[in-house]
Amino acid sequence: MNPSLKLALIVFIALEVSFAQVWTVNVVLIIVSLILMLANHVSFKRLLYLTLVPLFFSSTLVWSLSLRGSASPHFLLVIFTRLFVYVYMGGLFTQTTDPLMLTRSLEQNAKLPSKFAYGFLAAFNLMPKIKAEVATIKAAAMMRGQVLHFWSPQLYFKVILAAMNWSDQLAAAMTSHGFIEGAPRTHAMTISLVARDWWFFGGALLLVQIGLFCGLP
Amino acid sequence: MATVTVNSLTFTYPQRQRPVLDDLSVTFPGGKFSLLTGVSGGGKSTLLRLIAGLTPLPAPNTIRFDGETLSEIAPGKRAATVAMLFQEPSTQFTMDTVVNELRFALENQRVDPAAMPAKIDTALDFIGITNLKDRSLMALSGGEQQKVALAIIVAMDSDVILLDEPFASIDPPTRLTLLQKLVALCTQRGKTIILADHDLSGYDQWVDHLAVLDSGKVTLLSADQTKQRFAAFTPEQLRLTHVTQPSSELTVCLQGDQLGIAQGKRQLIQPQDLSFFAHQATLITGPNGSGKSTLFRALVRLGKYQGNLTYAGTNIQKLSRKRYAREVGLMFQSATAQFLNVTVTEELDLSRRFGNADYFTAARVQDLLTQLNLADHAEQVIYSLSSGQQKKLQLLCMLIMAPDVLLLDEPLKGLDFASIKVVMHILTTVQRDLNLTLIMVSHQLSGLDDLITLHLHLDQQHLTYEGAAE
Repeated sequence: MNPSLKLALIVFIALEVSFAQVWTVNVVLIIVSLILMLANHVSFKRLLYLTLVPLFFSSTLVWSLSLRGSASPHFLLVIFTRLFVYVYMGGLFTQTTDPLMLTRSLEQNAKLPSKFAYGFLAAFNLMPKIKAEVATIKAAAMMRGQVLHFWSPQLYFKVILAAMNWSDQLAAAMTSHGFIEGAPRTHAMTISLVARDWWFFGGALLLVQIGLFCGLP
Repeated sequence: MATVTVNSLTFTYPQRQRPVLDDLSVTFPGGKFSLLTGVSGGGKSTLLRLIAGLTPLPAPNTIRFDGETLSEIAPGKRAATVAMLFQEPSTQFTMDTVVNELRFALENQRVDPAAMPAKIDTALDFIGITNLKDRSLMALSGGEQQKVALAIIVAMDSDVILLDEPFASIDPPTRLTLLQKLVALCTQRGKTIILADHDLSGYDQWVDHLAVLDSGKVTLLSADQTKQRFAAFTPEQLRLTHVTQPSSELTVCLQGDQLGIAQGKRQLIQPQDLSFFAHQATLITGPNGSGKSTLFRALVRLGKYQGNLTYAGTNIQKLSRKRYAREVGLMFQSATAQFLNVTVTEELDLSRRFGNADYFTAARVQDLLTQLNLADHAEQVIYSLSSGQQKKLQLLCMLIMAPDVLLLDEPLKGLDFASIKVVMHILTTVQRDLNLTLIMVSHQLSGLDDLITLHLHLDQQHLTYEGAAE
């Protein structure tokens, strides 16, 4: 499916699920996301991670809400499944979408300014660099007798300084390879946005509406 | 073939008084290979960035390409006019793989998608790196990344090619290949090449003109003057008179058993037994990009290594990180990586709080600051210091920490001759007074003689102690 439309679909459904209180729809969404992830060969380890983390948070949430005593079991079930819907749909999107394809699609189909599209891609590519930088900063601090934890403001001060430096470097790199803000570009790869994408998008939304409508009390 | 004309260009960095380029006028002839030289920190990079349009010009019309300013050239044609290869190989890419980066550059030039594959293949073939086409850029070595960057410039067909110390972190064979490709671009395709380097060795047979940047002005030497200048230039010689083979009486502080270093899939140092000796000053030399900094990062547990590393007999992986960091310290190659505070005083106070404050009394630190010409900058923000001042402050901070073993990665980088003398004097005095173990990597070879007692040379992926037996 077209990456931009896929993103829009998932954001739409997530928004609707936040307002509607129909746990059956949540369960269906969870099952569909799970089947699609399995069909796309998402690793078992990744699936386990995507299950255990929300399990912990939704359990504690439901537990604390039930202790307060005012929430109905129906509401607790909705809350419990809702968290899984968010995580599974997010997982489905990130695990089945290539960042470069999304960038190209945002630029070509969603007509996002190319500056934003490539800014997004660069931020994505920066992740491993940030990890290495944090390790270096921590080591530098330890050599000076200071232990920095993930809550230490100094760590963030240094990471932000480094990020500012990288953003300058990236701007220079893009300029030197001919990128000019607002100038027209050609596209080495065209990301197709065909009728089938729209049918799928519309169909999926419609199904969710029907489900929500039927499930409403 | 484009001629680059610079006309009375003055450039001052914000918050500095002295201009780094002062009413500079020069013409770089079209289709020629010009080498721009001058001391480090003298403004070579600044000039190249201004020509490339990466730094906005302080006054319009000061730089022209065949009479046209960059802003007069249509946006889609600018990259075909001028392109730049950076000093730091990994910082010049936006995309993930080689072919995607090439596509990105061609898209910016509005090349027809149908014509792209042929252009990409021709460019990769010209540089001889067709095999790297689908590789991830971050997994390539520095030398390979520079080749890719050059292939992109070839694909963009830029008339003027600027190179800012492009060989600073790559090995000699790669340097030679790149130089040959550049000369071919110049002679066969009529490209104008301006390359900045402070080291003149190995250029004499390739370069048409030498441009000397000195106190803000450029002098372009004629072909004859250039020849004379090359003939007069002798690369710095390493003269170490106190170096011997390590004797059996020395104490081992760091011991590597079958220690090997790799970067990604590339083996930098073959597994070997290696000892570092306590209370000695050891110099490590070797070609650029051969793995010296990577070895240092492994020694302070910031990088992976093969085999075993022990410190005073204990495997370093079994020591607490905190304790080990206090005993084996690293002065990073990039000065800003070391700093944790905002002003010079705060930084020194932090070092004194946890470091050797008995030796580094307030009076002694003040005296050292005066020697290093930093006394007037006590309240200044570190990030507004010049790179040389940062380097000197960084060294002082790490010396005050006085770890048992101090690794120094290019401690003299970017310092002028006077500063090098002062820094080496301070290093030698402190090392003797506190009986420190210093292990140093340096490309700057003069002034080291008083300090260095052991010399490790890295060649053919192997480290060996040099010098005669005692």
